[in-house]
Amino acid sequence: MTKKLMLGVIALGLAGIVSGCGAGKPRLHLYTWADYVDPALVKQFEKEFNCRVVIDTFDSNEAMFAKLQAGATGYDLIIPSSYMIITMNRQGMLQPINKELIPNLKYVDPDHLKYAKDKDMDHSVPYMVGHTGIAYLESRVENVEPSWAMFDREDLRGRITLLNDMRETIGAALKFLGYSLNTTNENELAEARDVVIRWKRNIAKFDNEQYKVGLASGAFLLVQGYSGDIVQVMEDNEDIVFVTPQEGTSTFSDDFVIPNTAKQVELAHAYINFMHDPENAAANIEYIAYLCPNIGAYELLSDEIKEDPTIFMDPEIRARSEFIDDVGEALALYTRMWDEIKAAD
Amino acid sequence: MKRSRLPLFTTVFILLFFYVPILLLVLNSFNASRFGGSWEGFTLNWYVRLFNDGPIWTALRNTLIIAVSSTLVSMILGTLAAFALHRYNTRLQRIHYTLIYTPLVVPDILMGMSLLLFFVAMGFQLGLTTIFLAHVTFCISYVAMVVLARLQDFDFSVIEASQDLGAGWWDTLWRVLLPMLAPGIAAGGLLAFTLSIDDFVITFFVSGPGSTTLPIRIYSMMKHSRNMPIINALSTILLVVTFLAVWSSQRLTREKRT
Repeated sequence: MTKKLMLGVIALGLAGIVSGCGAGKPRLHLYTWADYVDPALVKQFEKEFNCRVVIDTFDSNEAMFAKLQAGATGYDLIIPSSYMIITMNRQGMLQPINKELIPNLKYVDPDHLKYAKDKDMDHSVPYMVGHTGIAYLESRVENVEPSWAMFDREDLRGRITLLNDMRETIGAALKFLGYSLNTTNENELAEARDVVIRWKRNIAKFDNEQYKVGLASGAFLLVQGYSGDIVQVMEDNEDIVFVTPQEGTSTFSDDFVIPNTAKQVELAHAYINFMHDPENAAANIEYIAYLCPNIGAYELLSDEIKEDPTIFMDPEIRARSEFIDDVGEALALYTRMWDEIKAAD
Repeated sequence: MKRSRLPLFTTVFILLFFYVPILLLVLNSFNASRFGGSWEGFTLNWYVRLFNDGPIWTALRNTLIIAVSSTLVSMILGTLAAFALHRYNTRLQRIHYTLIYTPLVVPDILMGMSLLLFFVAMGFQLGLTTIFLAHVTFCISYVAMVVLARLQDFDFSVIEASQDLGAGWWDTLWRVLLPMLAPGIAAGGLLAFTLSIDDFVITFFVSGPGSTTLPIRIYSMMKHSRNMPIINALSTILLVVTFLAVWSSQRLTREKRT
């Protein structure tokens, strides 16, 4: 009896493995972050193009890169962050985007491209952008100004958190001082270090995860946080307000790229085109609460979303904001400053 | 003489330490609050979302296929390895022992990376098969170690006795050796199953298109997903299933005995 059962289980297991390879429809293998697309759109795409979209997920750009570099293949379309795309392109991992296959590229926001790394969309197409900002509890924090100076507020001492991320946190101080958050100037960095050390006396902790819980429950009153995270916390606690500091902040962009080893190149292009169709892009923005830089989609969004500071940035602040870039050798300087910040009391 | 209360307190404390986090997880799966910082009211919302979330179920299916198949195979291979290691004390077996022992101490990231390089060099298509092979690789070691410990207390005169009494090798194997080793093999298998079901690092490297497992999916959900709390709901369901399985197997064995 048990033997039969065991054989049955093995057979079932093998059947599962084999069935993963059969089927006639073409498959588009997408390698991306979990829940980073509206599933209804994927279904619609599958129907329109008579294919299957198989989504696999990674949890960090670095791990994904290490895996591809070692020779992992089979993915047709990947969505890394733009800083990683620079490296991937330098390594010759990406194939050029065939713009003729993506007529909807005309909708890609030229304002976004102005700041983007790959301005001409030669090897990448923007998918979603987000930024870092300040979130606070409206009923408990008074006289709020949209500025990094909020972290100097002594009346909030012990109820504030900063991100536990070297580039983000030092970057906030650099922006506060009016410098570039990709500076390689040692004096500017030293100034920023002193600012963060000053802020450190006011904060409860440096934190990337628990601040969400803390803000939702009211344990923290003011936090530095990622726009996408804050959107989620807002669903829990309506008292939360998000502001983008007027000095500028850090932004990120996750972009579509097609690796050299892709098999379904045309389908990959079709997918990019589909996601940049204004109606689809708008649906996607509403679903995942990040901004797809697609001007056609902007008009279709509800007013609520159009005025949402977690999604849209004021153009003037946008102009003062930057992507976190590869700073090359200066990274060692950042690390040193960060160590000194952590060691200071 | 008054008995010391210390053992009681220690037991209660340790049980609390073990089970309170699980209890909190179960409670939070019904909590309307997304982050579980406070109780915002009862909801089945996360369960509804869970049942509508296709990718989670695909990932769960992948995870179970791999955990079950790699456990069974490593139980067989691990037991055979342990038997060889115990029975023969030659130089070859000492090398064998080192080879079996190594996966226990090699860091996961090293193992994942080297397996990936190996699979790529061999021209394997990455997918469930490569994850299965990788899991068998490290599961064998755990099974072999547990069974080896069991063999150390094993009285081999029992085998001789069975042969004296006229049992062929097949009967000796099925009716003497395996039943006596069964607890060890089962314990090794359970260990292998647990390790396989929640392995992230190695699996990440050797997985290919269409073979995302549950741990990989969960880690990635921490980045952008708005559906994170459905993990609590899924864990609760898995817990209930596990408890039911353990409870029913205990009942079955009890009935057999009477």
